[in-house]
Amino acid sequence: MPENEKQLREVAEKLLIDKKVDLIIGYEKGTLPLRTRPTFIREPEETKRLVWNSRCENNLSFYLKTVKEKVGIVAKGCDSRSIVGLIKESQVKREDIFIIGVPCPGIIDKKKIEDILDGRELLEGVESDSQILLKAEGFEETLDQDKLLHASCRSCRHRNPVLYDTLMGKEISQPQTDEYSDVEEFASKQDNERWAYFNDETSRCIRCYACRNVCPACYCPQCFVDQSLPTWFDRTPHLSDTLIFHIIRTLHTAGRCVNCGACSRVCPMNVELRMLNKKTEKDVKELYGYEAGTDLEELPPMATFKIDDPQEFIK
Amino acid sequence: MNSLYRPKPVTVRKIVIENEAKDIKTFELVFLSKEDRERFKFTCGQFAMLSVLGAGESPIGIASSPLDDEYLQFTVKRYPTGVLTTALHSLEEGSRIGVRGPYGNFYPLETETMEGKNILMVGGGFAFTTLRSTIRYLLHEKNRSRFKDITVLYGARSPGELIYKSELKEWEERGGITMYITVDKGDENWEGRVGLVPNVLKEVAPSSENTVTLICGPPIMLKYTMLPLLDLGFSPEKIFTSLERRMSCGIGKCGRCNIGSKYVCKDGPVFTYREIGELPEEAL
Amino acid sequence: MKEKIIKKEQLGRWLEKLGKEYEIWAPVKKNGLVFFHPIKSAKEIYFNFLNSKKTPKDLFFPQSEVLFSFPKEEVEKEAETILPKSRIIFAIRPCDAKSLALLDQVFDSEDYRDPYYVERREGTLLVGMACTHPQTSCFCTSMRGGPFEKNCLDLLMVELGDDKYLVEAVTQTGKDLIGKDDPFEDAQGKDRERLAKVKKETEEKVKSKVVMEGLEEKLDKIFDSPFWDRIHQRCLGCAICTYLCSTCHCFALLDEKVNSGVQRVRSWDSCMFPGFTLEASGHNPRISNRERMRQRVMHKFNYFVKNFGETACVGCGRCIQNCPVNIDIREIIEEIKNE
Repeated sequence: MPENEKQLREVAEKLLIDKKVDLIIGYEKGTLPLRTRPTFIREPEETKRLVWNSRCENNLSFYLKTVKEKVGIVAKGCDSRSIVGLIKESQVKREDIFIIGVPCPGIIDKKKIEDILDGRELLEGVESDSQILLKAEGFEETLDQDKLLHASCRSCRHRNPVLYDTLMGKEISQPQTDEYSDVEEFASKQDNERWAYFNDETSRCIRCYACRNVCPACYCPQCFVDQSLPTWFDRTPHLSDTLIFHIIRTLHTAGRCVNCGACSRVCPMNVELRMLNKKTEKDVKELYGYEAGTDLEELPPMATFKIDDPQEFIK
Repeated sequence: MNSLYRPKPVTVRKIVIENEAKDIKTFELVFLSKEDRERFKFTCGQFAMLSVLGAGESPIGIASSPLDDEYLQFTVKRYPTGVLTTALHSLEEGSRIGVRGPYGNFYPLETETMEGKNILMVGGGFAFTTLRSTIRYLLHEKNRSRFKDITVLYGARSPGELIYKSELKEWEERGGITMYITVDKGDENWEGRVGLVPNVLKEVAPSSENTVTLICGPPIMLKYTMLPLLDLGFSPEKIFTSLERRMSCGIGKCGRCNIGSKYVCKDGPVFTYREIGELPEEAL
Repeated sequence: MKEKIIKKEQLGRWLEKLGKEYEIWAPVKKNGLVFFHPIKSAKEIYFNFLNSKKTPKDLFFPQSEVLFSFPKEEVEKEAETILPKSRIIFAIRPCDAKSLALLDQVFDSEDYRDPYYVERREGTLLVGMACTHPQTSCFCTSMRGGPFEKNCLDLLMVELGDDKYLVEAVTQTGKDLIGKDDPFEDAQGKDRERLAKVKKETEEKVKSKVVMEGLEEKLDKIFDSPFWDRIHQRCLGCAICTYLCSTCHCFALLDEKVNSGVQRVRSWDSCMFPGFTLEASGHNPRISNRERMRQRVMHKFNYFVKNFGETACVGCGRCIQNCPVNIDIREIIEEIKNE
């Protein structure tokens, strides 16, 4: 990883010096222990701010919706799939972006770290190889990074970017993962149990819309939530309205969501609705044989119609 | 409980369509309770929150004069994306809605700023409502003698878009007030003046001596009329205008309508040109 | 009242007695989050917390509440009293208690007293718990507060070692919560010494310092500066910072249809949302994220100061901890000073 970081800085600097791009979007060190955050770099000497580690958790591709300049963007596997989606849906032109691909073995979930620390504040985290040393008041422990991976990274099947102009380091191995075991287990529960789970999760939602704003697939100029005439549903966090918002957002991103996990990572209230997105992803794969963000040509199934589309639900 | 946010019930006694495009209507409202009417004491320039149950609320400037005892009048333009304005326009006479207010500050008519002075009123489009309230108030026999010359310059995009047409005619014909009505573009029947408000102002060149100006209009008209006013010698402290912002509570709590540290609902909507200059840029 | 000591094992007894007269809200942990919730016994309390995820402003200014409702028959229903029973908020942090003083300026002003907020405020007692473990994101001492501040509290409790709390009464109401038969003892000299030591140590632990001097004046000067183009770039435009902020108070009045008629609801809103200032004509004075971010910073550190004489920030650090892209208000203030 450290070699990748060095290479990343060099590549970014060269891109700016050669004026191949006007802007580099990458990650820099944050102001809290083990935090990184998106950064916007326009001057070559500022590229030394760029970092690459197992805490680079944001999916930077959603910034492509709004920037107007030629951009060099750092992209992990999932991010690159989001970029493929945005190109396919004509939200960004391929020639306007330079993708700096980074192979990613997984991102550490800070919520898991909070659970382990149980009320103590994380004071320092030191990464090394595949481990991480966590320090808090009266606490010091080295853990395997594997144990702390975010749930969406655990079932990741694209650790290497699928589309890139240059790759940092070499491609890394792609272990076989049973991608949908958690969804299948959940789907096997009784329906009232599943309904209770979703209601319980949604009851915490404060409708901050961070999940929607951070999603690269959510780029509608006016979201259905913000429409006043007609008012589709109420702004206040009633359980039914909040659940409808999440369900509709899942349907709108069906077949387009790449399961990057950004939505569940940004949620301040630990609302975990990834199961819904994973299920629609599984259904789309089974019904239409389509996986989001892997092919630049094939259109998303919800945006097109083929004569041989499955039709058993039409009785 | 004594709710700060509860509107008082009123009946829509009369609805008048003001313009050719039929999207500006004047609503004449009567309070259901005499007490509510007596408590609703307002001055020219203030606004109230009109409330249609199920649609919401909106701040609308009061168009009737404070001396029009029995009723209140509000002139409302319907916007295609406006929930409340659309709901208001679909009402019939006899409907029940709510009014909350009066809120905001007002034109300082009863102070030495305006008493005994010449008053120039410049209005554009449908933003003429609170000026109409002021004209009716000033022209009332109780008040007329307290002010010197009253001059009104009012323009609309076309003859069909002029509002309060019957009153405009009445004012043109009576003494005690000088009217200059203009349209941006005439039609085959229009015999009056044609020209944009700022240009007509330059043409008419009213005297700025001892004069206070009240000006209301869309932001673009305000921008282009301020300079000619200043050129004619009107001082920024004596030019009053009414600003608009989206509002929710109307009483300075919900944090929505501020321009800088001033809330348009509480410290406004009436501001002098000098005060606007001191606000951070977002004002106009 | 002189300071008192209560042993940790006796706390449950005292709270149980109080629970007969008051509804007690205390920090509980569920789904990885700490938040204030009514409790029946001290066993439910999660004492190990740094600070709750959402601020206790919820308890005075809920995210949504029905102001009044109109059944279809158009006969008005009077709103019931809001608080059926008086409440105690137990273990509220001093920064959150201070935020109530700032919210009071808005909701309990001379010209209009918001009855919903005022009734809740008057019916709630605050038992504070001093912070002995401030976070790296805390900067309360720079905002005229501190981990042992007593502003707005009725009682202040301080954890002294592993087995006891020291309790100080701040108001007469707080003093009255400690009855003759309650398991309290007078504090001894060594307890007071311990208190002074812990207070000093904790205040030194708040390492994050933000210099507020001259900030208001500087902000006046840089309103139109390209500085704002830079700092808003990362921002998502979500509402996390505003909804989790102890002092943010923007709201919307909305009509909602329910089966029994129409309700007028007051609901939180955020100046960071694009539609916040959007007018029906389509005009939006704050058309982009740049203007909205500027509004947020100016409101907290300039406009509120002009109107009420105080900064609308208590240094609780929640915005820093929870921002998905780590926008740090301390950094922004630093950059403003250096502009």
